Amino acid sequence: MSDPSFGIHGKILEIDLSAGYVRVRPLDPSLTADYLGGRGLATRLFYEAVDPASDPLGAENVVVLAPSPLIGTSAPTAARGHMVFKSPLTGFLGTSNSGGGWAWSFKATGYDALVVKGRASSPVWIDITPEKVDVLPAGRMWGKDIHALTDELTTGFEPAARPRVLGIGPAGENLVRFAAVANDRNRVYGRCGPGAVWGAKNLKAVRAAGRMKTRVHDKERYQSGYEQAMHLIRQAPVTKRLLREMGTAGLVELINVIGMLPGRNFQDCTHRDEDLEAVSGETIAKTILERAAGCYLCPIGCQRHTRVGGKGEQAEAGEGPEYETVVLMGPVCDIYDLEAITRANYRANELGLDTISFGSTVACAMELAERGLIPPAELAGLELRFGRAAVLERLAVETAFRRGAGALLADGSFRLAERYGRPDLSMSVKRLEIPAYDPRASFTQALGYMTSPSGACHLRGGYAVSLAFFGGWKEIPRFSLLQSPIAIRNMQNHGILQDSLGVCRFTGYAFGSEPWSRMLAGATGLDFSVARLEEISNRVAALERLFNLEAGAGKLDDALPPRFAETPIIVAGEERAVSVEIQERMRRDYYEVRGWDAEGRPRPDLLGRLRIAGRRP
Amino acid sequence: MVVKVKFFSAFREVFGTRERDYVIPDGARARALIEAMADQPERRAALLRGSNLHPHLVLLVGGEALSSRGGLEAELRDGDVLAVFPMLGGG
Repeated sequence: MSDPSFGIHGKILEIDLSAGYVRVRPLDPSLTADYLGGRGLATRLFYEAVDPASDPLGAENVVVLAPSPLIGTSAPTAARGHMVFKSPLTGFLGTSNSGGGWAWSFKATGYDALVVKGRASSPVWIDITPEKVDVLPAGRMWGKDIHALTDELTTGFEPAARPRVLGIGPAGENLVRFAAVANDRNRVYGRCGPGAVWGAKNLKAVRAAGRMKTRVHDKERYQSGYEQAMHLIRQAPVTKRLLREMGTAGLVELINVIGMLPGRNFQDCTHRDEDLEAVSGETIAKTILERAAGCYLCPIGCQRHTRVGGKGEQAEAGEGPEYETVVLMGPVCDIYDLEAITRANYRANELGLDTISFGSTVACAMELAERGLIPPAELAGLELRFGRAAVLERLAVETAFRRGAGALLADGSFRLAERYGRPDLSMSVKRLEIPAYDPRASFTQALGYMTSPSGACHLRGGYAVSLAFFGGWKEIPRFSLLQSPIAIRNMQNHGILQDSLGVCRFTGYAFGSEPWSRMLAGATGLDFSVARLEEISNRVAALERLFNLEAGAGKLDDALPPRFAETPIIVAGEERAVSVEIQERMRRDYYEVRGWDAEGRPRPDLLGRLRIAGRRP
Repeated sequence: MVVKVKFFSAFREVFGTRERDYVIPDGARARALIEAMADQPERRAALLRGSNLHPHLVLLVGGEALSSRGGLEAELRDGDVLAVFPMLGGG
């Protein structure tokens, strides 16, 4: 084992909110070797600690947060944290990643992971410094939005000593099943509803104020990886310039041209060019953008700091919208009003809502209402139909507080659609709402959504657009049944690596595993060859799968909603759907590529090779 | 034959328009269209690096990547629509 200060402290901080204990236990060095950090380590620690049958909103759920061995070095974007929990939205693995400085500050307090168990009897917050850990009453903070909470816990410090706050807003307190946990005000662990898990634990915030440095073991080796990485980031057009200029919403028009931009709760993918231009990244840059910025330690800079409403009383500033938010709150609701989307985005940031699940759930409600399936009396006077931009901001607030029509939305689109007898109208996989790329426009993307361990997510499942259109990766035709399973496995594995390193997906537009291997091996002095990193990704994927199987998932949970099989869209002049047979074939081939059996269970020989001891067969 | 070209993002400024029809010989390949488009030094620099397509470009014909149809050697048809984007990323 290397010197603990070389990227690894060797300590896990465990807090049981029911029993009221705080303890520090050693991190088994083999866990670092086998699971790295971030997503890998958090998944392993979660798997050990949780009963897969536990109620996600019960005391028995466990939340694990982990930075990575690279965090604290100068590695580009290496400040991201990863959170694992059982999702109250899906009932399966909750796994969510965020930029922002909290993971860096937490690592610098001297721990490699935070494990939170139990449930406090009244609201609490946790204060972590290198010297001590306190669990403190949070009664007067309960009810505060994320910005006010952050202000309260960070005022009175010198800028250099300012702690970082990770916390929930009213949506988490009110157990909204797609509530987020945020740090640095607007950086969120958004997907799968971690905010509701915190709310159920009566946990309002975790403040971290670390200063411990991460030393580099082999400076020459680290530096060779670092310099190559920075060189490639400055060379690649996307990371050098375009994300800063256009933000992620720069994609809106391109995704439309390739026929992949969903509209009206995924009923079609047709939009008028001028409508889309009104919500494009270019329009955002020309009209509401005040400045672009990067997350902590990020040279890429896709953040949008914006202002709407001119100079009058209605003026306000905030952050966003990015691509997913634009499309899910916009065209998916048949809304092309940038100001309305932006204001609703501001409310989601403050109150703590995942904008993807929120937008999709609004669209689902609009479709149910237009079909006459929701009795008007249950909408609390709200006129809900596609295209009504005025409802967005109001619904964001009402959802966070479970008030009015928002009370219907707060459990997500699947439970909403199920309540009115049409679960097929929820555009979700494993009850997690589908992001802003229509799966009918790419078999590869469809398979990514089907097999993502967290449900439909482009970040955990794989992002096919960059395979078919952006280069960098080996170019894969988007309707290739033959190549999609391997391509998606490879992308998912690279995503596991990035999440376990605590780095941003967008570094993938500039370089792959090799520079990371050198930075990581150089920083820690441990063997992290590219082959070793690939093995770690396979191990994490298998363990995530095991948890989902134990939590009750089966093959049929790896499937798209019926709409994508039954209702074709036109893509590049051809009718496209993802039939049940195509899904079956891709799923079978993907399982095979992963070393899983026909039911999607990792085979015993694979588990043996990866040294995973599952709990049950 | 006539091929319609739609420009997006910064290419609208480089080409001074949102879309334009180009007339190229029947049966011509994409190279002929790109040469016709590269009628000024700034436009040439935006489209080509040496004799190859600029790596910053995403070119789509009828919603499919031009590269999947053979890049500069792709055969074009009358009425094709070419969309010109900078390489973007995100999601």
